[in-house]
Amino acid sequence: MSETEALETHLQELRRGTAVLACLRLLERPGYGYGLLEELSARGFETDANTLYPLLRRLEKQGHLTSEWNTDEARPRKFYRTSAAGSRLAAALTDDFHSIAAAIDALPAPGGLK
Amino acid sequence: MTATSLTDRYVAAAMRTVPEKQRADLGTELRASIDDQVDARVENGEPHSDAERAVLTELGDPDKLAAGYTDRQLYLIGPRYYLDWWRLLKLLLWIVPACAAFGVALGKTLAGDGIGETIGTVVVTLISVVVHLVFWTTAVFAIVERSGAGADNFTEWTVDKLPEPTARGVGFSDMIATLVFLAIAAGAIIWDLTIGFIPAYVTTDDAPLSFLNPGLWPWWIAGLFVLMALEAILAVVVYLVGRWTVWLAVANAVLALAVAIPALLLLAEGQLLNPEYFPTLVPDDGEKVATIVGIVAGFTIAGVALWDIVDASLKAARSRR
Repeated sequence: MSETEALETHLQELRRGTAVLACLRLLERPGYGYGLLEELSARGFETDANTLYPLLRRLEKQGHLTSEWNTDEARPRKFYRTSAAGSRLAAALTDDFHSIAAAIDALPAPGGLK
Repeated sequence: MTATSLTDRYVAAAMRTVPEKQRADLGTELRASIDDQVDARVENGEPHSDAERAVLTELGDPDKLAAGYTDRQLYLIGPRYYLDWWRLLKLLLWIVPACAAFGVALGKTLAGDGIGETIGTVVVTLISVVVHLVFWTTAVFAIVERSGAGADNFTEWTVDKLPEPTARGVGFSDMIATLVFLAIAAGAIIWDLTIGFIPAYVTTDDAPLSFLNPGLWPWWIAGLFVLMALEAILAVVVYLVGRWTVWLAVANAVLALAVAIPALLLLAEGQLLNPEYFPTLVPDDGEKVATIVGIVAGFTIAGVALWDIVDASLKAARSRR
């Protein structure tokens, strides 16, 4: 495995889970699949469509998101919104993310950057 | 218009494996999302058909996407049960095919079938036993995996399950056991040929009625004792080295074959066992008993040699890791 491939794999592992947190916090304001995909990407959370759509369904099934069909426009869209349980989950995940960030800052610096 | 039909086909393919109840909801949402993505690309100046192709390609295999929607596993046996499955399968594959092959071979030979037919039947039995074992074990685990039933692990791991490290090395007791066995075997052979296990019976020329063919004395028996002495030396060497190496395993295999092959050849020619033994003991059915004992003896000799070779090879292979 080349160095860039290894970097890609590790970055992917590191970012796994941040998409959930980002969705839960962005969907405090209702949003639909593609709109959310765009917003995530604009905010630096590159997510694949085939990861995001099933993820929204899973979060809905777990009760962290609620959904509603909007048929006012020509193209019917399913709007998702973070539920109360989703907000609590987002708060817990955010706290944990901060403590991880603090813990990483407290680690010895990587060799090349001393 | 082919452009729309690609999306149609994609949505239909993805919904194929989704439960009926969610189909309409998921299908409409998926179609809207695809259309949104295509529209965004078209606004950036891409031709519609190219945009559609690109979006669908990015979404990937529709079955995989559907599996993501419905939390379906895309593997037969996942990490939760893999180790249990693998351990059980290995254990069964060690035990069952060998027992089945041995039993079938013994049965066919006792029934008086030819060597070719026996080997053919054993091979067919082996193949079908292995296929059945692997298939049914895997099938049961796959069902358990999907049903969500069952404990988290069939067998929870504890520290008590750690294997003893001495299993890889060769202990003092292994060497002693081998030496004692060889001594008892040598003693039994001499006893058999000089006194006989049933002293009451005596052959016509007043010699003891031995189980082994008395004609093997002295040269065949002497050769056997030399090989047994070499086995004893090998046991000591293995103990001193502390483990089975590849060369020790090879030497062991050569010795095992050097004993088993001549013994089987002699047995096949009717020269290993005393031809007078059973006819004297069982006057009525002596011939038949002698045949059966001969066959069982042949299987025992072959089985012991095979086990000896396999056992030493496995120990050598394990201690290499």
